Amino acid sequence: MWAYIIRRILATIPVMAIVALFVFSLLYLSPGDPAAVIAGDQATPDDVERIRASLGLDRPYLVRFGAWTWDILRGDLGTSIFTNLPVSTMIQQRIEPTLSLMIVTLILAVTIAIPMGVVAAWKQGTTIDRCVMAFAVLGFSVPVFVVGYVLAYVFALELDWLPVQGYTPISNGFFPWMENLILPAVALGGVYIALIARITRASMLEVLSQDYVRTARAKGAAQPSILFVHALKNAAVPIVTIIGIGFAGLIGGAVVTESVFAIPGLGRLTVDAILRRDYPVIQGVILLFSFAYVLVNLLVDLSYTLFDPRIRY
Amino acid sequence: MSVSDRVGEPKLNQPRAEGDNRQILLEVDNLQTHFRTMDGVNRAVDGVSFHVRSGETLAVVGESGCGKSVTAMSILRLIPEPPGKMAGAIRFQGRDLLKLSDKEMRSIRGNEISMIFQEPMTSLNPVLTIGRQIGETLRLHQGMSKQQAEDRAVEMLRLVGIPEPGRRVREYPHQLSGGMRQRVMIAIALACNPKLLIADEPTTALDVTIQAQILDLMRDLKNTVGAAIVLITHDLGVVAEVAERVVVMYAGRKVEEAPVNELFRNPKHPYTQGLLGSVPKLGSSLTGETTRLVEIPGLVPSLKQKIPGCVFATRCPSVTDLCRAVAPALQEKAPNHIAACHYAPVEASVSGTVAA
Repeated sequence: MWAYIIRRILATIPVMAIVALFVFSLLYLSPGDPAAVIAGDQATPDDVERIRASLGLDRPYLVRFGAWTWDILRGDLGTSIFTNLPVSTMIQQRIEPTLSLMIVTLILAVTIAIPMGVVAAWKQGTTIDRCVMAFAVLGFSVPVFVVGYVLAYVFALELDWLPVQGYTPISNGFFPWMENLILPAVALGGVYIALIARITRASMLEVLSQDYVRTARAKGAAQPSILFVHALKNAAVPIVTIIGIGFAGLIGGAVVTESVFAIPGLGRLTVDAILRRDYPVIQGVILLFSFAYVLVNLLVDLSYTLFDPRIRY
Repeated sequence: MSVSDRVGEPKLNQPRAEGDNRQILLEVDNLQTHFRTMDGVNRAVDGVSFHVRSGETLAVVGESGCGKSVTAMSILRLIPEPPGKMAGAIRFQGRDLLKLSDKEMRSIRGNEISMIFQEPMTSLNPVLTIGRQIGETLRLHQGMSKQQAEDRAVEMLRLVGIPEPGRRVREYPHQLSGGMRQRVMIAIALACNPKLLIADEPTTALDVTIQAQILDLMRDLKNTVGAAIVLITHDLGVVAEVAERVVVMYAGRKVEEAPVNELFRNPKHPYTQGLLGSVPKLGSSLTGETTRLVEIPGLVPSLKQKIPGCVFATRCPSVTDLCRAVAPALQEKAPNHIAACHYAPVEASVSGTVAA
């Protein structure tokens, strides 16, 4: 088991290297010259050239990639072209709201979606099942920003129950922190809930038709025990897999959600950096998100052994 | 014990079991289990009655699709409703199981009546330990603690002949062979000392040597625990070996019932005769007998329409117009021996007592 974990961690190295190459190349290939942006409208071509040289942008592609990778390995994500602050510092300042939003969304989504899917499978073909499925289709098809604005309008502007936008750090207390996160988390979680509920339902339907569920019933087990003890553990592998895969959507959604609710997180940082062509910041943030995604999926893989004793590494 | 003390003496459609004074444990009375399907109602079980006495082994035989498994599932009310629908009565120790609440029914399942299924490979939960699966019924029905349940699970594993029970109790089903898994199923079924054990083709999925071991085990444990057994099977060899009394089912009906020796010696219904004729006889080719097995021609009729006459009419070698028009009633043909056939002769010893 430990050998497997170490092997899996080592296997993430080539993945991360390829991600790094992509992140680096993507910006290299995209149009727009940061030197020209920094130099401003009045700059002469000579000024732009000077700035380009000072940023090292005049060096060959591979040399720049090598230097960049070496810096990252030493923990240096570079310096923002715009603010002159180290990228790692900028990320540190912005990470708490994003992390909070993601964790709250994840917990919210899992605690709502899994019981929803389980009940839908149990009551297959009934009105309850159809309502859950209708909700799932709705969750898929309505974009995050639409849900976000509608929620903000109803619960913040009309009913005045929750703040319209902004973020309060958790150091200011749990409830103020939560108050600001509920609407963004619900908006962001919609697609995620729909996805997890659908997979839970499908996976449970398959498990509920198995012989061992009939055995559990013949033993006199009550319905909740059949659903959540006997069946759910068997249905868990596809569910945690989709939670892992859906995490990518959560990252993308966080960028949009933070804009809608004016949350000063990594998503906003990314959007601002892209608008300013602040290459080091864009690269740093994308690299961080990729790393988080690889890590989450590693955890998902490892969690399989907890659910199914037949899976051995 | 006098005859009048018994709970619910068998009705006319069941033989008067003379000389058997054991108490009636289970009485299935005109059970009808129907399924609503897209193209009509499937009458999987259509008016079946039989009884089981305490400690008795009753075999229910018939070919695939005759309703024997549905009958077994109906007793424990494991038929999903809808699409299933059950009518009639299933009296267990005098209580009609069909009238119990779900909660009352759960306290009977796995406790007073338990069941062994055909497929040991898939009937155990792959993600729970053996010990947990045996212990579950004990914790559920006897309120044992986790530790007590595990100790008792080890004891049960030893009882069903699994070596190293202390280690096995922590293992998962995939670490056990098919025969061992069926032993575990038996351990689960017997953990709460049930009064009735329903075994639905318990040996069908196992190879022959394991089959014999499992049958021996069931017979031993039946004596130890004192449970009555309803054995659902299509294997007449198994029936001859363990059953005391046999119910023959065909197309959702009971067509014959008799003590096991009487049935094998003197089958009354043409279907039973066909079933017995289709069993290979050891050494039959040496004695110059025909080596071709007798088969019953045709297929089990669709259970979607009501059959006006005898259910076996389409396949019976000696069918007449009477058979096609009028369904024969179950009638006592010999002592303790009933069959549903117009033409099966009634023996002199009973012809005086039962009106034809």
